[in-house]
Amino acid sequence: MKKMVFFLTYSFIVLGIYTLGTTRENEQLSIALNTQYSNSISDASQKLGELEDAVKKSLLFEDNKSSSKEREDIWRLSSDIKSSIATLPVDESFSTSWMNYLGRLGNFAKESTEQGNPDEYYEVIQKAADNLNELSSEWQVATKGLLSGNLSISHWENKLRDSPDGKANWSKMGQSVMEYTETVFPLTASESDAQKKKDLSGIKEAKIAEEEAIDKFKQLFPNVSNDLIVVDKSRKGSPYPFYHLRFAESSAIGYIDITQKGGHVLSYLVERRMGKPTKDYEELEKLAEQFLKQADYSDLVLEEARENDTAWHFVFVRVNPENGAKVFSDPIHMKMAKDTGEVLGLDASEYIRKEKLAPQPIRKVDWKQFFRPGVEVMDEQLAYVEDRQMQQRLAHYLTVVSDKEKSETYKILVDTDTLEVITTEKQ
Amino acid sequence: MKRVIPRLLFIVLASVLIGFFFVSQSEAFSGRDLAKGAKGDDVIELQARLQYIGFYNGTIDGNFGYGTYWALRKFQEQYGLPVDGIAGKGTKKKLQGVSDYDEKYVKAQLAKGNKFTYYGGQPLEDQVKKGSQSQKQMQAPPKYTDQDIKLLANAVYGESRGEPYEGQVAVAAVILNRVEHPDFPDTIGGVVFQPGAFTAVADGQIWLTPNERAKEAVIDAINGWDPSENAIYYFNPITATSKWIWSRPQIKKIGLHIFCN
Repeated sequence: MKKMVFFLTYSFIVLGIYTLGTTRENEQLSIALNTQYSNSISDASQKLGELEDAVKKSLLFEDNKSSSKEREDIWRLSSDIKSSIATLPVDESFSTSWMNYLGRLGNFAKESTEQGNPDEYYEVIQKAADNLNELSSEWQVATKGLLSGNLSISHWENKLRDSPDGKANWSKMGQSVMEYTETVFPLTASESDAQKKKDLSGIKEAKIAEEEAIDKFKQLFPNVSNDLIVVDKSRKGSPYPFYHLRFAESSAIGYIDITQKGGHVLSYLVERRMGKPTKDYEELEKLAEQFLKQADYSDLVLEEARENDTAWHFVFVRVNPENGAKVFSDPIHMKMAKDTGEVLGLDASEYIRKEKLAPQPIRKVDWKQFFRPGVEVMDEQLAYVEDRQMQQRLAHYLTVVSDKEKSETYKILVDTDTLEVITTEKQ
Repeated sequence: MKRVIPRLLFIVLASVLIGFFFVSQSEAFSGRDLAKGAKGDDVIELQARLQYIGFYNGTIDGNFGYGTYWALRKFQEQYGLPVDGIAGKGTKKKLQGVSDYDEKYVKAQLAKGNKFTYYGGQPLEDQVKKGSQSQKQMQAPPKYTDQDIKLLANAVYGESRGEPYEGQVAVAAVILNRVEHPDFPDTIGGVVFQPGAFTAVADGQIWLTPNERAKEAVIDAINGWDPSENAIYYFNPITATSKWIWSRPQIKKIGLHIFCN
């Protein structure tokens, strides 16, 4: 009996200490999270006020230069608020619309400093100022009481989502912000073009039947297309219709997506057990090129290759026949098995949405004058690349070494007409 | 007879030594050609040999990047070989002839994670700084860091380890699509840890150790595969609690997840 009492007392003490420890730990975690969320809320609130001020101040001046600091502030504060919102468990519909609005506002302010039309700026920013004024009061109501301290995690989550009494109606705020975005920042021509690309509206070819899609698959991948093919279609609401074929043959399991219009391969990927590598780089590159020719992709050149444990990944890009420029937005990715040399993956989803390329003057550049001494241009080609306005620009595509000793290599794209540096990427 | 035995012993010993030398020479590089983008032990040897004779000043890490490429071209040019930046049979033979490779030393430094060099004519012990070199595990486009890849693999494993491979690649692709999208944070970390965005972050499963399949799925996604077809959301219709997610235009269903815009 004594032993029993001792054992029970001992167990209670141990359990008590453990519970106390866990409760303290939970309290500490709750306090830490409370502090972090409070900080993000107060930061977002304060910066929303500053953003409102910066937007209004930028409307005071006639010329771009006088308001350049305010415009820079709009861009910086938008980005800061985005970061604060991203750390809070806010209602998804609100955070999505709000981050989109802030991104557009910041970009608009920044771009208008460089190449804006003043009248357009005042019109847009005046509307934005009104919206922000409206939103500020809604934000204050929604976040009221959130800085009182010691809120539990579940309390935060409840407060940052729609409340049953309707006081904090986050999704309604999200809806308002979405409307602001649509009225103040409608899609630009190039953005709308980018959206259309997703819809594959450029494909004018006839629709193919399910059986034709299966035939195409069998013709391209005879080794894996004999067994168990499940055909599905893209779902209602999908930006473009395609057949989704799943297959399983021996140890290989994978899928292929083929567009309903024209029967183009969007994507193919197979997973299987891999054997010992037997094929080297050159063999695999040749096999990849052979496959592309067989699949009627004849206007491509190899741009990049990367080896990993079981496969090589190759990136081919389209070449514009008129000037021999590479079109980076029209790539085909291939994954080649190091054991058998077969195609493990192909992605042509960007390639089949062929970019529209406009003619553009090419200015000759003296690269010795363009770069600082010690920078050496190792290779020069032409390439089309998307600029910040999402337009395809012809560019001098340079491979540059900055420091011969360490061989730091950069890929630089310089607009052939404006000589603006579009991209600088360290290799 | 007394003279013959030492002579025989000498011949046998010399043959063994010569044989060993040739065997070790032929066992060096494997038969495959090495080009930009390659990785592995062969590349480690290539970098070490090029460094030994002063052509390569970069890190010996087994990844054939631009640094190795320029060094190899310089070597080919100086030794009158075809300058193509590919280490084929002829280039490797020449390189073996004019350089040395202490595999044991190089591999030991790599295993210990030491920062080290391998220049000829300098004592090896002076060329090692302990514990400061991280080795790149996977070959990825330059914009992705090792940390990005690790975080993506954790997220993919935590979110979709029971899903088909295609579904795992799609989950990785959704995270990458969000990074490019204006409605989401601009970094992989920002997207993954955005509160409420991923269940695996909320329940801590993101910290499970990812398997090779999840890592492979991440590599495919960062190399361009997107079975989700540009989706920025996915959800499990059985467990989803948000009504809003049902309002998004759906693209396709892979395994248990519906992918949408």
